[in-house]
Amino acid sequence: MKFQSIIVEDLQVSADFLRRFCEKSGVVEVHAHFLNAEDALNYLKDNVVDLIFLDVEMPGASGFELLDQLMYTPQVILTTSKVEYAYDAFQYNVTDYLKKPFTYQRFLESIQKVGKKSEQQNGNSEQDHMFIKSDGKLIRLHNDDILFIESMGDYVKFITSAKKYITHNTIKNLETKVNPQVFMKVHRSYIVNFTKINDIQENTLFINGNMIPISKTHKSGVMQKINIL
Amino acid sequence: MHNEVPKIPFTFSSKLDIAFLTELYDNDFEQAETVFETSLEQIQSELVNAGDKFSQGDVPGLKKIIHKIKPLFGYVGLNKIITDFAAFEDVCAGANDISQTENGFKNIVKITEEALETINNELKRLKQYNTQCL
Repeated sequence: MKFQSIIVEDLQVSADFLRRFCEKSGVVEVHAHFLNAEDALNYLKDNVVDLIFLDVEMPGASGFELLDQLMYTPQVILTTSKVEYAYDAFQYNVTDYLKKPFTYQRFLESIQKVGKKSEQQNGNSEQDHMFIKSDGKLIRLHNDDILFIESMGDYVKFITSAKKYITHNTIKNLETKVNPQVFMKVHRSYIVNFTKINDIQENTLFINGNMIPISKTHKSGVMQKINIL
Repeated sequence: MHNEVPKIPFTFSSKLDIAFLTELYDNDFEQAETVFETSLEQIQSELVNAGDKFSQGDVPGLKKIIHKIKPLFGYVGLNKIITDFAAFEDVCAGANDISQTENGFKNIVKITEEALETINNELKRLKQYNTQCL
């Protein structure tokens, strides 16, 4: 299987190297190269990729702003010449961080990380439960019991039909760990179990009487996911 | 039938980071020529743009150009210059007005002009090598 990717990079020389390394690796296919985040976002509205090679500082929106607006979470390899972005890279849960210029060997190490993460994610897609740490205990929550997950800053609240659990985590981190066949991010503060959605009105969805906002950027993703007859 | 002349590998100038360039280009000296040529042209044109931003007193604009040019020096084996550019980027980030970047910018122009000469000389050597090997 080849990883389907795009390159978002304003420096042509860097993009050319990336494209060349991808071809040489034989495991990464580059579908497009964009010189700015806005064009890449437009492409990503209609196309799904496994991997984004993403520069941080570009004309217009930054690479991190692009990640904030994505409707789903492909793997990301940040390509930048500034080490100062390493902390942000960690916060955004990116797969790897390549400091420009980099060699083919270093590129391959990144691709190996993509492969490992992909295997882990595929494993997650078959999981029907998760363990969360709450009140000093590890609690098993079945996917089917969870209605939605709400951000509370550095904490998140798991809402089930019977109880609420608060745990130290972030929505950004959870969105890569929950089963994508059941859960989806609909807003930067909410992940919902979309099998539990009762109805949708404009930019709000309802689950068991709870009103949950759908952000503009996630709206089309939500509409694609639900079964409209 | 003809006898092929065995290729003698090109050796990068000792003014450049030979180990890094050897690994980066992996004996593909035609690619090296292309990248050196592109980098030379882009650094030249961005240096003009940087001069314009400096004249206009546009510190954020100047910082953006410095950030954009910076990795190009890496692709031609002038990694030390990346450090100089990163330091000047920090100067720009902390500057309240363009006068605070003046000394740093003069130094950047000087460094870049010297680098352009080095890149140009290496480009000529690469062109000569690749022509002989055709």
